Amino acid sequence: MTDTTLSAPAGRARSQGLVRVLYAILPALVLSAGVLVLWELSIRLFKVPTFVLPAPTAIVTALGANWRALAVASQATALEVLFGFVLSAVVGVLVALVIVRFERFGRALYPLIVLFQNVPKVALAPIFILWFGYDLAPKILLIVVIAFFPVAIDMLAGLQSVEPSFVSLMRSVGASKGKIMLRVRIPHSLPHLMAGLKVAITFSVIGAIVGEFAGANQGLGYMIQFASTQLDTPLIFAALVVVSVLGLAFYYVVEFAERWLVPWAPKFDPVHSAG
Amino acid sequence: MNVRVMSTAAAKPVGPEQCAAPPHIAAQGLAVDFTVEGRTQRVLGDINIAVPKGSFVSLIGPSGCGKSTLLKVMAGLIAPSEGSVQVAGLTPQQAVKARLIGLVFQEATLLPWKNAIENAAFLLMTADESIKRNDAFDRAAAMLKLVGLEDAENKRPGQLSGGMRQRVAMARALALDPQVLLMDEPFGALDAITREEMSECLLDIWERTHKTIVLVTHSIDEAVFLSREVHVMGTGPARIIETLPITLPHPRSEESYADPAFSAAENRLRGLLIESHRRGRR
Repeated sequence: MTDTTLSAPAGRARSQGLVRVLYAILPALVLSAGVLVLWELSIRLFKVPTFVLPAPTAIVTALGANWRALAVASQATALEVLFGFVLSAVVGVLVALVIVRFERFGRALYPLIVLFQNVPKVALAPIFILWFGYDLAPKILLIVVIAFFPVAIDMLAGLQSVEPSFVSLMRSVGASKGKIMLRVRIPHSLPHLMAGLKVAITFSVIGAIVGEFAGANQGLGYMIQFASTQLDTPLIFAALVVVSVLGLAFYYVVEFAERWLVPWAPKFDPVHSAG
Repeated sequence: MNVRVMSTAAAKPVGPEQCAAPPHIAAQGLAVDFTVEGRTQRVLGDINIAVPKGSFVSLIGPSGCGKSTLLKVMAGLIAPSEGSVQVAGLTPQQAVKARLIGLVFQEATLLPWKNAIENAAFLLMTADESIKRNDAFDRAAAMLKLVGLEDAENKRPGQLSGGMRQRVAMARALALDPQVLLMDEPFGALDAITREEMSECLLDIWERTHKTIVLVTHSIDEAVFLSREVHVMGTGPARIIETLPITLPHPRSEESYADPAFSAAENRLRGLLIESHRRGRR
């Protein structure tokens, strides 16, 4: 594939690539544009008050008017997401490794983790605020308790799903458990881990917003709450748009990292089924 | 072909007349019990087997007759419950430590993130931490050449066909330069033509290296074409019901399939297998 693109004139190859990208995202663009137009028309036609549901144009106006405040808030939220996500990944991976490596302890730990996963994390937010104040720490902690779980579970699945014949092969040359872990189980689990990280990054954004709702003096979540007390619905939606774009960007960074780190992983196509 | 001569290559093939020499792999009164959910079941009972050094032996029998289990006992992966197993005069565990054993399974079990040569060198580098990367890769390259994959060194498993993947798995086992090659239905997942190609490839390897090979197979053709001796196994509990020497002359090639000795052995084996199946059902 690279051969053909290299042999073609560079300009043409680039424009071909652009066309391909356009072709790939065109359906999504058309659908979004259609929804927006329908939204705008309905608001105008039925004369819906702006404080109930603002029209897309009103949201864009709010975006323009508050872009500086939104940018500052995004920075705060992005920082929480970043720290929270990285820590979730570390905790998730460690939990999985501990469960697999220390089997007996793992048997004790696993049900507790599942039990903990069923605690509504939103309810923990006020407690964390109580313990750690209004700074970064309670948000990061909240993100970790929400987002480490998919990482741990997927990593665990990856570590456990190594074909038994791999393990037999390693044992047939006298490899220790640790060596099998390092050389076979962990690399084998990486595609699974990346799948877990993709879930975790979206959870992290949610965690950050929830954390800010519970108590904060900056960030997009804080801004949404502040705007709601002012009945500034267009600003709420503007902040939501920024949150969504932020989440999307984070998600694609992880997906890009996946392609780069585990190129052997089966390609994930959300629309086409395997058949 | 200028393949590096392996240490065991000097060993002459051992004819049936030399069977008095101590066997390379031997099991006496071997039994294996599995305990599943508190219930103990005998999966292998009273196995006596002697595989001469440099011989090619097949284990054939109905599904669930324990032939894979027997192979795993030889490989030191399953401990015997009764009796003894020796590989080159050692226990299987000691043989593993001495790196005498190479394994090939039905699935190629290649690491998807490594290319063919890295895969072929992988077990060698795992077994021998002190080996230099270059030496391991030279050896892996030589083995890939031996299995006819010298042009596919840099391909990932995803880019290889089933037969090619299995060749890499064979090269990986051979790179260890084991004295004993244990193969569990290595060609079971391949189509008929690829199977025959692989059989010829394996025969070629055996004739060059004269490793002791134990092959578990479902295929009567494969067993006759490749083996000097076929052990027919039966169920309930699994044991060896008959040992059939294959008199098909060496060197064997495609023409061997037309040899009267081939069809004679094939028919005899088929008869034994059908009998074993019937007994198993009762």
